[in-house]
Amino acid sequence: MKAEEIQHITSFREHFGTWLALIILTVMTVTISVFGADLLSLTVVTALAIATTKAIVVGYYFMHLKYESRIYLLMVGVVMLLFIVFLVLTIFDYVFR
Amino acid sequence: MSTATDSGYVNFFQAKKGLASWIFTLDHKRIGLLYFYSVLAFFLVGVLLGFLMRLELIAPGETIMKATQYNQVFTLHGVIMIFLFIIPVIPAIFGNFFLPIMIGTDDVAFPKLNLLSWWLYILGALFALSTLVVGEGPADTGWTFYAPYSVKTGTNVTLAVLAAFILGFSSILTGLNFIVTIHRLRFPGMKWFDMPLFMWGLYATSWIQLLATPVIGITLLMIIAERTFGIGLFDPAIGGDPILYQHLFWIYSHPAVYIMVLPAMGIVSEIIPTFTNRTIFGYKAIAISSLAIAFVGYFVWGHHMFTSGMSGPARIIFSLLTFLVAIPSAIKVFNWVATLYKGSIEIKPPLLYAMAFIFQFSIGGLTGLVNGALAANVHVHDTYFVVGHFHYVMFGGTGFAFFGAMHYWFPKIWGKMYNIKRANIAFAILFAGFNLLYFPMLIVGIMGMPRRYYDYLPEFTTMNVISTVGSWVLIIGLIMMLWNLINGYRKGKIAGNNPWGGVTLEWQTKSPPPLPNFLKKPELPEDGPYTFK
Repeated sequence: MKAEEIQHITSFREHFGTWLALIILTVMTVTISVFGADLLSLTVVTALAIATTKAIVVGYYFMHLKYESRIYLLMVGVVMLLFIVFLVLTIFDYVFR
Repeated sequence: MSTATDSGYVNFFQAKKGLASWIFTLDHKRIGLLYFYSVLAFFLVGVLLGFLMRLELIAPGETIMKATQYNQVFTLHGVIMIFLFIIPVIPAIFGNFFLPIMIGTDDVAFPKLNLLSWWLYILGALFALSTLVVGEGPADTGWTFYAPYSVKTGTNVTLAVLAAFILGFSSILTGLNFIVTIHRLRFPGMKWFDMPLFMWGLYATSWIQLLATPVIGITLLMIIAERTFGIGLFDPAIGGDPILYQHLFWIYSHPAVYIMVLPAMGIVSEIIPTFTNRTIFGYKAIAISSLAIAFVGYFVWGHHMFTSGMSGPARIIFSLLTFLVAIPSAIKVFNWVATLYKGSIEIKPPLLYAMAFIFQFSIGGLTGLVNGALAANVHVHDTYFVVGHFHYVMFGGTGFAFFGAMHYWFPKIWGKMYNIKRANIAFAILFAGFNLLYFPMLIVGIMGMPRRYYDYLPEFTTMNVISTVGSWVLIIGLIMMLWNLINGYRKGKIAGNNPWGGVTLEWQTKSPPPLPNFLKKPELPEDGPYTFK
């Protein structure tokens, strides 16, 4: 059986940990945006960092990326790179306007 | 279909009968043809709208329509031609039909998703067409739906935007299907660099469909949110930023240009070796340049915004990045020309269209350098020069590649042959009409004629008359081409399995192919996909 066809059974502990991490990160996002935590110019950066962490947790644990071969990690890496480029180039415009 | 039962096989047309066997089919070939008939129908609607626009522009002042109607007509022309024609035309028709066959498998990875993508296409098309009959009529914003006007206008922007949103889902599903199919279902022993170059074009395209389309989906929903709930996203009057809209829109829509042209380049890479009877020059360079175009294409969206009020440093960086795309594009063109050099060339209709692609795409590409250069762009940005450039790339490039693909794979799909001589004549008229229609736009643009208006100054009249006459010639060529193909379908001679002497896997199976694509296992050429003996 090929490596990518092997079925993985994830433990309850890992699923629960993933869920808990996502809940905590969501609470942090809500706290920052709705309740107006005063982080000044770091607000956006913090929100993006939290969102990115959530995406990594979902991809790596919940979607079993950690079991996949390097090619899929590379694909996700390229997608993340593109997303960062979108943000950097757009923010670059705003900073210098 | 007439060919077939005599040799003991049942082709995919004969396998099942009735309307339901088509509209609920899971066969990738039938889904490809469903797309073919639908996309072609919308293309003809788009052509009709373009014809009306050219008629309006035959003379200064109001000719056949008022300013508002003109705005609505060019918006609908853009929406139909972009979202309903040129984005799906090659991947959804020829990609669906030939991808599984060319990699030696029996279907795409997710046949049901494939059917869903066609249904979503039809649903999106209905939404787009419904703008004609509901409320204040079609949107008058242009196909770009620029804010804040798109937030304020009373025309049917919401419906048009919803149409584009749904069509985006259709596009994503097709891209997803192709990526998984290419990764998982290639014929045993077919390595990445054994794939035909059309597959590389589709693979690169699929990644763009998958990654860029969601951005436009969210952006269009933001337009609806602002129109419906008054959330200040893009309208400065309520705290929004219109340049943010342009960033988000072009983050998708520039890569989308490569959704439109990369599959067309793949087709040219198929046609040229077949009609020069030789291995393509620079296979790996062409394959990798497809990925390079897709990748670099993500970094250049800002060149659509040089006159939008974007910051100076950002404009300079986007201008520099834009020139990077010229490198992989030129790699392809040079390799195609090198393949033609000293090849055993057979001048047949598909090759004529491929050569027209190279000629017209090169004009589109070189005028693109003018647009990419920041200093020059500021002068030509809102002129007809951009309209001419865009149509040279999209219609002169992708449109002609589509016609070339129709002529190349016609005998494989329908098992019959069209009249070659008439096809050549139709090509000549189309080619002349196209250049007569669009080249004057480049000239009149340099002279300073602004785009998007139904009126113009009298000094631009001569070029506009030539352009309008060109549209008539083009339509005559188009009718002749389609008539010849329909005639070939009805009365053409049996084509045989491999009328052109092609070497990729689709030429090893019957014409039309059987339902499972191959009756016996295809044989992979030993020295790559373009080994001519």
